[in-house]
Amino acid sequence: MIRLIKLAGLIAALLVILLPSFTLAQNVNFSVSPAEVHIDNLPPGEAAEFELTIHNKEKLAHNFTIAAFQPPEEERREGRAEFPDDSWISFPSQEIEVASNSEANVTVTVAIPREQQWAGGDWETWLGVAAESSDLLAVKLYVRLLVSTNPAAEARSNAGLVAGIVAGIVLLGCGGYYYFRHKTKLE
Amino acid sequence: MKAVITSIVVAIILALIFSLPALAQDSDAITITMTGVNDISISLDKTQWPLGEVATDTEHMTSPPIEWCTLTVEGNCNVNTFVVGEDAEWIGNPSAYKWTLSNDGTNGENVYGLQFRISGDTTRGYVPVAKTEGEFWPYGGGSSLAPGDTKQFGLKLLTPTYFVGGRQMQTQITISAVAA
Repeated sequence: MIRLIKLAGLIAALLVILLPSFTLAQNVNFSVSPAEVHIDNLPPGEAAEFELTIHNKEKLAHNFTIAAFQPPEEERREGRAEFPDDSWISFPSQEIEVASNSEANVTVTVAIPREQQWAGGDWETWLGVAAESSDLLAVKLYVRLLVSTNPAAEARSNAGLVAGIVAGIVLLGCGGYYYFRHKTKLE
Repeated sequence: MKAVITSIVVAIILALIFSLPALAQDSDAITITMTGVNDISISLDKTQWPLGEVATDTEHMTSPPIEWCTLTVEGNCNVNTFVVGEDAEWIGNPSAYKWTLSNDGTNGENVYGLQFRISGDTTRGYVPVAKTEGEFWPYGGGSSLAPGDTKQFGLKLLTPTYFVGGRQMQTQITISAVAA
């Protein structure tokens, strides 16, 4: 029994002695521009495109990843709401290789669904660009993307046209009525 | 006859009055503004901290403790900065074994703590690195960082109270920036 206790103690000690080596996983110096993008008057059902430029300032080529990120409310610009759906933002690829001391452009597409419920929106989301690295410390740069949609443009357009047509029919009806009444009187 | 012509003209005018503003709304151009074609960039002068073999429930600090790494704001816009950590994974089989990162810098069985401290940040001292983004430089109580600004900081790691020995672990701390 004493032998077993000693053995257990030895195993416990070994567990502490045979510790794992904790290697905490090279800085990639890069920049992204623009830092902030505003898309205004984007009607539901339409899409807008812009380009992000990633500048790899290193002597080696590097892979960069791009992804949308929902910032916490307190970090958003005043009056901006959470972007409804990150799937409305697309890139040709979420990963891009940039040659040494070079720039690469990434086309970002923002497509708003046709539903009228997305009219009049003022939203913000961030696009995070990071260099692939296994180092302990890594850098990620966010681009602020602020999107505003047209305030119910389609509905107002239809209402205006309908009101105009109704007014025209009413006035034509009145005109016709008075014309025929006048004609009848003359006869 | 005059009445009919007048009616038609009035009707057309009214229809135009109602519909033109709405049609004009439809023709609003979509505008895309790239704010000042700003360039955002931050850099770190150190990204590796090889610890070698570590013992359970032991604190490790970078050397020097709070001036180990320098963050420099490059680019041409003011930035707000954040920091986020993640679980440490076994390099041999990442899905099989990990140390969970605590949210408060404390440790536990297979749970480790990470903290950072910025030189000159006298109010916060050591700040836990969590798995959700937190402020790096406390712009809330101070200001954002401007191009050319530098901040020196150090790290403190607290190993788990228990872990499986002989495994090489790896983790990553991401420091991020957004235009202020």
